[in-house]
Amino acid sequence: MDTSVQPDTESSLIEDLKKGNATAYKHAVREYSPGMLAVARFYMDQSGAEEIVQDCWVTVIGAIQKFEGRSGLKTWLHRIVANRCKNKLRATNREVSTDFSENLDPELASRFKSNGRWSLPPKLIFHESADTLMENEALSDCLDKHLSTLPETQRSALMLYEAHQHKSEDVCNILDVSASNLRVLLHRGRQKIFLMVETFQETGEC
Amino acid sequence: MLMCKGLAEIASDYIDDELTGRQNLSVKMHLMMCRHCRTFIGNLRASTDLLKVHSSGHGNEELIRKIDERVAEALNARTSEDGVRE
Repeated sequence: MDTSVQPDTESSLIEDLKKGNATAYKHAVREYSPGMLAVARFYMDQSGAEEIVQDCWVTVIGAIQKFEGRSGLKTWLHRIVANRCKNKLRATNREVSTDFSENLDPELASRFKSNGRWSLPPKLIFHESADTLMENEALSDCLDKHLSTLPETQRSALMLYEAHQHKSEDVCNILDVSASNLRVLLHRGRQKIFLMVETFQETGEC
Repeated sequence: MLMCKGLAEIASDYIDDELTGRQNLSVKMHLMMCRHCRTFIGNLRASTDLLKVHSSGHGNEELIRKIDERVAEALNARTSEDGVRE
């Protein structure tokens, strides 16, 4: 499901933001802040990330005048957040550390025999559509809980790619990761979500 | 020959159409013969879709409120500056 703002709606939103229209800002803040927070959380803890997103919106009020629309508004906003985070990390000499060495989640890896065949194959088929599944409040809460325990790097990559529908190239630029490392982050994150949904479907427990 | 574990390692690349033609073909051949892996790929895809639906409506209300306040302050400050200039 693509929830992004359509191009013609986006250009009129940009015009309104340039005029300093308060209603347009309220709309944009709601539309784009979750993605901006996902970017910032890649680089720093929750409170630091929230602070960065707030500061960025104040910056946007002036900077939007120079926005020429070479990228989409969402990509532009996410880059502002990423640059601010990188500057802040540089100032404090901190670096984001991530393990890109393993492509398979250890829990999933343990379900194969030494000959590479399944020893514990997936039993259930997830038949319902994503929309129907998410009507189950307990599953939705469970997903929230598991998303919050994912390593930040995996969660941010998943959020930007899946939830905010960025292209791989944009996610790599925003998060400053190589294309191959992004593939690892996405795959590791998806496996965690798969394992969570499977446990929930089989046991009804989170 | 591609085994189940090898397929699981590149499953996301298959879903996102990021494999080379040769790799893609070996995944497809494996899937024709292995129902466990068909279930796995289907479920991994469904889990990914879940994330698209789940996250789209999510926000942090307290953060949004704080941003609204700071944006309103900054917009007001700009309006008063413009007023002074005029």
